Amino acid sequence: MARSWTRRAFLRAMGAGTAALSLSAVWPFGLKAQEPVRIGAVYPLSGGLARTGAAIKATLEFTARIVNEPHPQLAPIPLAEGAGLTGLGGRPIELVFADSAGDPATGRAEAERLIEEEGVVALCGAYQSSVTKTASIPAEARGIPFVNFESSSPTLTERGFKWFFRTGPHDGVFTRLFFDMFDDLNARGQTIKRLAVLSEDSEWGASAVEVEKQLAAERGYEIVAVEMYTTPPASLDAELLRLRDANPDALLGHQYLPGAILVVQTLKEMGWFPPGLVVHDAGYVLPDFLKTVGADGNYIISRATWALALQERKPLVKAVNDLHKERVGTNLDGVTARGFTGLITLADAINRAGSTEPEAIRQALVETNIPGEALIMPWKGVEFDEKGQNKHASGVMVQILEQQYKLVWPFDLAETEIVWPAPGWGER
Amino acid sequence: MRALGGIAALGLVGGLVAFPWLVEGSFPRHTLITLLMYAALAQAWNVLGGYAGQLSFGHAAFFGIGAYTSAVLLRDLGLTPWLGMWVGGLLATGVGLLVGYPCFTLKRHYFALATLALGEIARIAFTHWKFVGGSLGIDLPLRYLNQGAYMMWTDKLPYYYVALGLAALATAVVLVVDRARLGLYLKAINQDEEAAANLGIDVRKYKLVAMGLSAFLTGVVGAFYAQYVLYIDPKNTLILPISVKIVVIALVGGRGTVLGPLLGAALLVPLSEYARTYLGGLGRGYDYLLYGLVVMLLAMREPRGLVALLARLGERAAAKPAPQRPRPAVADVTTKTTKAGAEATPRGEGRHGAA
Amino acid sequence: MELLGQALISGLLNGLVYSLIALGLSLIWGVMDIVNFAHAEYLMLAMFLTYWLWALAGLDPLLSLPIVVPVLFLLGVGTYHAVIRRIVEAPMVSQIFTTFGLFLVLRYGAFALWGTEFRKVEDPLLEGSLLLGPFHVSVPKLAAALAALLVFLALHLFLTRTKTGKALQATAQDREVALSLGIDVQRMYALAWGLGIASVGVAGVFLTTFYFVEPQVGTAFLLLAFASVTLGGFGTVLGALVGGVSIGLLEGVFGALVSPTFKLAFVFVVFILVLLLRPRGLLGEA
Repeated sequence: MARSWTRRAFLRAMGAGTAALSLSAVWPFGLKAQEPVRIGAVYPLSGGLARTGAAIKATLEFTARIVNEPHPQLAPIPLAEGAGLTGLGGRPIELVFADSAGDPATGRAEAERLIEEEGVVALCGAYQSSVTKTASIPAEARGIPFVNFESSSPTLTERGFKWFFRTGPHDGVFTRLFFDMFDDLNARGQTIKRLAVLSEDSEWGASAVEVEKQLAAERGYEIVAVEMYTTPPASLDAELLRLRDANPDALLGHQYLPGAILVVQTLKEMGWFPPGLVVHDAGYVLPDFLKTVGADGNYIISRATWALALQERKPLVKAVNDLHKERVGTNLDGVTARGFTGLITLADAINRAGSTEPEAIRQALVETNIPGEALIMPWKGVEFDEKGQNKHASGVMVQILEQQYKLVWPFDLAETEIVWPAPGWGER
Repeated sequence: MRALGGIAALGLVGGLVAFPWLVEGSFPRHTLITLLMYAALAQAWNVLGGYAGQLSFGHAAFFGIGAYTSAVLLRDLGLTPWLGMWVGGLLATGVGLLVGYPCFTLKRHYFALATLALGEIARIAFTHWKFVGGSLGIDLPLRYLNQGAYMMWTDKLPYYYVALGLAALATAVVLVVDRARLGLYLKAINQDEEAAANLGIDVRKYKLVAMGLSAFLTGVVGAFYAQYVLYIDPKNTLILPISVKIVVIALVGGRGTVLGPLLGAALLVPLSEYARTYLGGLGRGYDYLLYGLVVMLLAMREPRGLVALLARLGERAAAKPAPQRPRPAVADVTTKTTKAGAEATPRGEGRHGAA
Repeated sequence: MELLGQALISGLLNGLVYSLIALGLSLIWGVMDIVNFAHAEYLMLAMFLTYWLWALAGLDPLLSLPIVVPVLFLLGVGTYHAVIRRIVEAPMVSQIFTTFGLFLVLRYGAFALWGTEFRKVEDPLLEGSLLLGPFHVSVPKLAAALAALLVFLALHLFLTRTKTGKALQATAQDREVALSLGIDVQRMYALAWGLGIASVGVAGVFLTTFYFVEPQVGTAFLLLAFASVTLGGFGTVLGALVGGVSIGLLEGVFGALVSPTFKLAFVFVVFILVLLLRPRGLLGEA
């Protein structure tokens, strides 16, 4: 409190941006080598997404520990082997968390607070695309790098921002995966042509629907029905009745948790299951989902940035996940694995910059080139295009089989055979 | 007395103008801006909900209409929000009158419930209206960033002064309403509609005037908000919690008084902003729990809000050292408001309308 | 045609659940002229209680009915004595204000205690659906609908056949007259709260078999309950039934035949039209 209420010089107050810059410029002087490098993290720690926010927070803290303490067993991962940022004399990184409460205005204000009052050298966050959108504005205005790990709205990297980077894939990439998989399945003799969409009417849902319509048109598929609802829905009976009536070859879904649970229950009550229920991860991959719907969740196919099954082919994935399970108590999932990878990327850039000068960090981010072998993701690497989007960000498709997420596509990475069409309720 | 009040008011205004200079950092300034914005919104609501006694739970609709109008004008026509905000206010007024005309036949709970539903209809409509971006909302064109002529800055300070101006404007409107004949009519309507009609007051007309003023101010503040966050979608402009927050601030402070909404905003906004910073990190919603307790206790202990509570405390304090002196002053004010037709209740809701 | 039939069935079943939720709101509203903004939070509490009885004691929701409903009854009476009693005479504004504070306290109290986790009872006795010709009828929703009808019937009999019930009705009609007849009005108010909250408790138990449990679960049902009560005409038991079923049917049929996206908007438009054209509701007395 005291910090915020002290008198401040006239000019400083006028140009808060320059103040923040000069603050970070004088930072190294007179400080011990072990002074931590502070990274701001804006996440929904209260409100409806508090649970997701808490899971991300735990994984990011786990990641910081991997950077700060020697972990030679995870050697290929940048910064895992040594202690701290070796390029800055071993200084550790410190995460400063702020609560967006899931609200864009609050997210922006918290980002500003982190930059000015907490002296962070870079920002990350904010899970929801709408909050990432506003929280990245002060970073852009004040010239502080903002690295996003897990927001998937394509518009984020279309704003011409100079200080914004995204390590994870966006909905355009994900949705392309859907159609790539449909193409592959059609090549195997399936007939997938008519698609229907059920989506919540959030920013995320609506922008994904737009991409789906566009890609369907480009690639010769037909969208036969689109239904949108406000979350949390009291019932989805009418929506799913109409979709059943349209008789699609596959139903595409974008739901957060309440919607996802209700979709499965309503489908079961209606006695209908589309040949393929293909969904964007979100609610369908949270641990609570399977815990809640149990075996009724079987045969759903979801996009995923990550699958635990990758550990069969990548020992590094197993090593990181085992440690995560030991320290945090849970397996990594699509969201937290992206968080892990993103924070490593950011720390690696600060390390290579050899300084906490924002421009140096930005330059290092631009020059990022982490090979696929050093990642726990199924990506060819991390390398940003001119818009700040990681060009190698990609994903896989998983299917819930026997209440487990099984990697089923791309076919050459698959751990088990995809089940298509899904059996009806009576045949299970 | 009057001179003292004048000095106090001048001191307050001076303090508010100088305040951001004493406060370091964006976050406390953000809190101040939010505070002033909600003070302005609660004042706007106060005209309709406080003075005229028509409880609206749908003010987010006016807020959203103002925000969207100015944002669309800037996006498509490059019209500066300095002008767009007034257009937004006018459009909100238009919608307010259109809605108010039929709904003002409704009484008590019904009006509140109708506005609640109208707010939801507005939210659903905007969520699916492609022209305003549907649920994707509108990104304000950042090419105007740091152009004062387009009300878009990276610094918080200018926003603070705009918010201060809006809060002052809304308070001035309420002050005028409070003092003018309109205020008397509205209070009379609030008190007893039939009696007011019998006195020859055109009830629906004055309700519509109150609605128009209230919607206009709310719309203007909405336009400011769009400029402040630079990204609007139905979820940050048109949702029920915004309507509810406006109502609660006015109620906690003391509706139907000039100072009430200001006091309510001054108490509740920092409470929720700082509670979120210090408690919200726990991720368990303790801040809202606290908020609810305050609201409930105040409602049970002093339904007329903080203004009345403070007045009571002040009275008690003043009564002890010099029991005779404050009496005439209070009595004077009370008779004045009683004549004015305000609720002359034992605890005196109207008393501070004239303060 | 099949679509319409299915929409009617699910609309009817959903509608009966809405009406059961609305019943308590209507009862309290009718007897005391107080709008309880926290009403749906009692639904949430009932659902949590049902869930914990299942999770910790292995009790199926159906079997927890005799525990949950009395507990909710006591909770209603307790709320009346602790909070509502103090604002019976207060202006409407402070009443709204108090129950709104209560809403925040209950919801975020639950939030602080149990977090945002989504919980669901697994493998309840009531599960799956029946095939009725070409139509699927959800078993848990059917059970909930039947329970709603039973509750309505029981309440109707209570109000018309027992002395206490008649006293309650008299209090609802005219407080002064009730007082002059020597009716203990305070007791009637407490009873209205007990019965109102107990009936939402029944809804909570059945909802738990097919809906998830979390602190914010009330949001979706609060507005629908308001609309049901107003549409049917508040204060009348039958009004809540008719209102709830109308809302369910409107939502279901409009949703299936026209556009699910705007089904809620449509429900609210109808709600406002009813308010304007017949402010006493479909069944309310003039």
